[in-house]
Amino acid sequence: MDYVVGDGHNEFLQSSSGLAAIIRIFGVTKEGHSVCCFVHGFEPYFYANCPSGMGPDDIFRLHQILEGKMKETNNNYKAPKCIRRIELVQKRSIMYYQQETSQPFLKIVVALPTMVASCRGILDRGIQIDGLGIKSFMTYESNINFSLRFMIDCNIVGGNWIEVPRGKYNKISRSLSNCQLEFYCLFSDLISHAPEGEFSTMAPYRILSFDIECAGRKGHFPDPSHDPVIQIANVVTLLGEGQPFVRNVMTLKSCSSIADVDVMSFDTEKEVLLTWRDLVREVDPDIIIGYNICKFDMPYLIERADVLGIAEFPMLGRIRNSRVSIKDTTFSSRQHGTRESKEVTMEGRVQFDLLQAIQRDYKLSSYSLNSVSAHFLNEQKEDVHHSIISDLHNGNSETRKRLAVYCLKDAYLPQRLLDKLMFIYNYVEMARVTGVPLSFLLSRGQSIKVMSQLLRKAKQKNLILPNVKQAGSEQGTFEGATVLEARTGFYEKPIATLDFASLYPSIMMAYNLCYSTLVNPEDARKLNLPPECVNKTPTGETFVRSNLQKGILPEILEELLAARRRAKADLKEAKDPLERAVLDGRQLALKISANSVYGFTGATVGQLPCLEISSSVTSYGRQMIEHTKRLVEDKFTVLGGYEHNAEVIYGDTDSVMVQFGVSSVDAAMKLGREAADYISSTFINPIKLEFEKVYYPYLLISKKRYAGLYWTNPQKFDKMETKGIETVRRDNCLLVKNMVTECLNKILIERDIPAAVQYVKNTISDLLRNRMDLSLLVITKALTKTRDSYKVKAAHVELAERMRKRDAATAPNVGDRVAYVIVKAETNAKAYERSEDPIFVLENNNPIDHKYYLENQISKPLMRIFEPILKNANKELFQGSHMMSKNNCTPNIGIAKLFGKQLSCIGCKTPISNSDHTLCSQCKGREAELYCKSIANVAELEELFGRVWTQCQECQGSLLQDVLCTSRDCPIFYRRKKVQKDMEQAKQELDRWNF
Amino acid sequence: MEVDSGNGVVERKQSIYKSLDESFEIQKEMYRGQQYSQIYFARLHLMRTLLYSLIPTWKPHLPVCTVLGLEQGKECIIVGTLFKHMKLKPTILDEYSKERSASPLVKPHNFMHSDDYLILEDESGRVKLRGTILVPSVYVTGLVVALHGKETGAGDFMVEDILEAGLPPQIDRPLNPNGDDKYVVFVSGLSVGSSSANPLQFQLFVDHITGHLGDEKEQGIAAKIVQVVIAGNSVEFPRGLFNGQNLGSKEQSKLSEPTKELDILLTQIAAGIPLDIMPGTSDPANFALPQQPLHKCLFPGSAAYNTFRSCTNPHSFELDNVRFLGTSGQNIDNLAIYSDASSRIDFLERTLKWRHMAPTSPNTLGCYPFTDRDPFFVEACPHVYFIGNQDKYVTSLIQGSDNQVVRLISIPRFAETGTAVVMNLKNLECHALSFGTQFD
Ligand code: SF4
Repeated sequence: MDYVVGDGHNEFLQSSSGLAAIIRIFGVTKEGHSVCCFVHGFEPYFYANCPSGMGPDDIFRLHQILEGKMKETNNNYKAPKCIRRIELVQKRSIMYYQQETSQPFLKIVVALPTMVASCRGILDRGIQIDGLGIKSFMTYESNINFSLRFMIDCNIVGGNWIEVPRGKYNKISRSLSNCQLEFYCLFSDLISHAPEGEFSTMAPYRILSFDIECAGRKGHFPDPSHDPVIQIANVVTLLGEGQPFVRNVMTLKSCSSIADVDVMSFDTEKEVLLTWRDLVREVDPDIIIGYNICKFDMPYLIERADVLGIAEFPMLGRIRNSRVSIKDTTFSSRQHGTRESKEVTMEGRVQFDLLQAIQRDYKLSSYSLNSVSAHFLNEQKEDVHHSIISDLHNGNSETRKRLAVYCLKDAYLPQRLLDKLMFIYNYVEMARVTGVPLSFLLSRGQSIKVMSQLLRKAKQKNLILPNVKQAGSEQGTFEGATVLEARTGFYEKPIATLDFASLYPSIMMAYNLCYSTLVNPEDARKLNLPPECVNKTPTGETFVRSNLQKGILPEILEELLAARRRAKADLKEAKDPLERAVLDGRQLALKISANSVYGFTGATVGQLPCLEISSSVTSYGRQMIEHTKRLVEDKFTVLGGYEHNAEVIYGDTDSVMVQFGVSSVDAAMKLGREAADYISSTFINPIKLEFEKVYYPYLLISKKRYAGLYWTNPQKFDKMETKGIETVRRDNCLLVKNMVTECLNKILIERDIPAAVQYVKNTISDLLRNRMDLSLLVITKALTKTRDSYKVKAAHVELAERMRKRDAATAPNVGDRVAYVIVKAETNAKAYERSEDPIFVLENNNPIDHKYYLENQISKPLMRIFEPILKNANKELFQGSHMMSKNNCTPNIGIAKLFGKQLSCIGCKTPISNSDHTLCSQCKGREAELYCKSIANVAELEELFGRVWTQCQECQGSLLQDVLCTSRDCPIFYRRKKVQKDMEQAKQELDRWNF
Repeated sequence: MEVDSGNGVVERKQSIYKSLDESFEIQKEMYRGQQYSQIYFARLHLMRTLLYSLIPTWKPHLPVCTVLGLEQGKECIIVGTLFKHMKLKPTILDEYSKERSASPLVKPHNFMHSDDYLILEDESGRVKLRGTILVPSVYVTGLVVALHGKETGAGDFMVEDILEAGLPPQIDRPLNPNGDDKYVVFVSGLSVGSSSANPLQFQLFVDHITGHLGDEKEQGIAAKIVQVVIAGNSVEFPRGLFNGQNLGSKEQSKLSEPTKELDILLTQIAAGIPLDIMPGTSDPANFALPQQPLHKCLFPGSAAYNTFRSCTNPHSFELDNVRFLGTSGQNIDNLAIYSDASSRIDFLERTLKWRHMAPTSPNTLGCYPFTDRDPFFVEACPHVYFIGNQDKYVTSLIQGSDNQVVRLISIPRFAETGTAVVMNLKNLECHALSFGTQFD
């Protein structure tokens, strides 16, 4: 019988009799039955150093003292015995190269996992032992999560198939969980199958994707203490199956039925919530997904149930009668910064929040579900504003149905994203490679993964890891990766790129850099190691070579990279798309893991930092880049028999860009290959320089900013690649992005610089003449906190405040994204005072502040692109006739209102008497021309009107219902609002011709 | 507004003309924030009532359901609006999409793909349609049909049979085999001002129909022309010229020359023969269907004649009780982009049988967002149904089950083919009138 450790909920329980930790493993069998296995007999422990001269008697005394102290600090432990036993074991610390193979250490076994920490505290502080004086102990492996400890010792990794042999388990008489199978066994009877061959298959996880809707009060973001949950939509899928097998929605108050969906309507919220709970129990999902469920949907449901006093609601986990509760957690890591989140742990179920996963793995300009689905699924998602949600809810069963359809879409989208981005495959592979449970991957940083691998490897080598006290402060940041000086310019000859394949891991392997090979400076003198056995790194550290002792980190890396090569080879062979998905996920996971090892050693607030290693790695890296540059420029010269002198124009962390001077891509590729082989031969294995691609043409703007066409075969370029150029920055309006992309297209693909310049001029002229589509000018920013907590005044915050004064119901709330444009105002108004709601601007015809857009938005990014290309970029682009602005925007509106309906001539705007309706006497002669102008305007608007409004119909998936969407993230939202309004005006004007 | 094109019946020597354009006029209608859902709703309503009335004779034994009322395996009839899901259909959102492919896209002449599928929508919901009976390449978004079939296990609807509205009823055409020959001349795509237009050719055409050319026999025929219909694209109107600035004199003349030239020629026609001019895509008219009449300020010369009528597109009228209906071609051109048929005439026939001239409107063919009606619904069957601005002249005569007889005409672009179409009002017989010039 097989099952999987699906997740990290291997928690312990205090069994009433012996007070021991029991591990619970939740999982699923091949047939899809859920399993709960109680594993007995695994004891928590850690190590401590054994002060020299400590004999068995001393240990016995230590035991007693410790026991006493433990009882003192934790008198609520009713355990008869806290310290189970102390053993003397032969181990070796991982830190520093040592000649002895082992030393005595104390292995301290305690009764309960929580006791590890308190016991460690006591030992850290030091204790008085008769005859030995006050001793403080260095502890080892004392900060390891108990379930991880268990997994490591039993060789279990995340997403692992586990076998419990027949006869080794017992059914539990009184079931404690909601799982289909439930039993207990001894930890030593578990058989873990390495995820290879038949055991590399994925378990048939059941995945529940859900979304809730709440009826917020006007002007407030939904708050569980007031606002009811009105709908919950659910979609349940079996991993690997294309279509969901359950689709339903629970609604408060009646709701018309929806084709293909089970609609359940209730009169009270309590019923809605409890039905949902029953659904969770019945479907018994292994994984629960959604968009922003961890921070919003889940806590909301639980808090709401609490407010309503539904005590039986939160029993959502797999353990009977256990309530789910909310914890506030902060999670910080170097890569992702600090994030606050609410943690709702649900025993036996993994929660996978797509928002978190996407934020973690992808850099996007916006993370709203709408932009995310536009980005990955290439479709827009209609968005219904909170205030409309309440209206729909308060309407009739038809409007509630409308809402339900919307809610269902939002429940299904996360599932589709999950499939599209292959999250489950990638994450399970990552869990298998690094050995941590699935849930750790989302809730913890990178370091736990490296830690897990390190511990596993160390265990095999009889090494133990010290528990370093976290230094806390970031002590002197070491010199980071260098980049060679960038010779900015526009290169119209092919640029070959030489890449170091996995540079940092290779360096660590080549120079055998590891905790266990680092020679302590004192020891270096004492040990007197022969020079052929050590490497001195450029930073002056000494590491022994692998002939003396092989490091653990290099070994881990070797395994990871070898596994990656295997996975890649298998990937080539594989045909089945599912199998390919798994393999691709694996090779990616392996690559990421290999790269994170270096980061682990450099993380000063991490688990086991060792700056000697990380700074050595970077310094070697620097050396290699410089070495490469030297070799290239020495060898590929006219003197050396080549056609041109090669020139290194830029070098990045792990690549070097060379201009060989040849003008064909093919020739550059040949030379690139030659150079890569030649230079690789001068490096220690496995450091290797690879030739992969040619950029042609190549626009180098500055360090880490460039763009070019990317060629891997001489016939056709693969794509355009840009780095560090404003195409995705959040605070830019779409116009900037469009202009940058368009210019790069013109420069790089069409190779037509004058056209690019002309394009810029035309666009600027359009902007200045008010002919710009407003949606291109909209800037969005998230309102992350209330106004008072922003230190400086920001445009979006001020606007939100002003909008609240206008109409609290539709104003943005904390958590919303605020969209704004900058409009003209009194001369000395600050930029933040000039922000305005785009809709308001549309309705009131406020003039756009062109100058702001020109100076603060487009000029810098464009200058960056054009400076290397044009001599006088600034003059070329920003001076000339196209800069003439048109000043006649909207001055009449106010006056016209003042004087009532005074008509003006369509041709020249002079007021005219009512008798001749359209034109003044001067303009009469130009009738045909002016009419054509009006009609052309109408025609253009009509065309646009049709295109945008039918697009929205398509997006909302109905022809017969009105479009309600207010998605400000959608590029056509403003356009359709605007065209609607413009159309109304244009038609009125046109009608004046027909008297 | 054209004075002559009201409802007034204008007595003429040769024939009696009655305009039926009223339903295509959007004078009082306004843009007030209404959306397209309303025209779809109006269409569904109109067509459903019609289809419901036909069901008792079609499949009296079957129950009629809504999409929501479908039960798995239960045979029934559902009526609703089709929506065709098209993989290749371009959307306005593409303008914003991030990636540009390396090679510029060649604009395909048609957006069909073998993965396209149909969905049926009514007020209660949508259902995906399956089966080999209903071919996605024939049908388009916006059409209302009745389907016989049943829901499958996958929640789709397996179509077994389709009911279209069929040809509308027709008023009797005065049959007068011994009566006089009276001719109606159709021409389209004069494209004055475009590079393909040949002014001489047009002049020849004018001279010919006004009886200034040809031998006696030809002059005899010319004398019997009772009506000229210009079905759109008379000038090439450069809409792009207007981008907010006042025009320079060169541009002004570029703009006004073609209309002046057209006006001169039309004046020659209008002086002798009643003339209907319809707007088309390239004319100085609005874009969305129904296109409104070209403004008479553009035709200072010809508009002075009461024989000159500026009409809407689509355009409908009666001549001696023969009913005409036609467009400048947009409706059929659009169908050809989003569906397949062996010829333009097939499309024409199809729209008549669907009883809807422009089902793809508003989805892919811009139209005014009507709120309570759908003017493209074909109430009564015309005797002559024409479209302008096609590649070539094609015609056919179809007969309905109710003795309806309809002459279908695809009028070619004159500027490119030098061809106009002449039809005899007496027997609906048709022939092409071609003008070659040796001078080009
Ligand atoms: S504005 Fe239209 S296209 Fe955009 S998300 Fe909303 S409904 Fe969809």
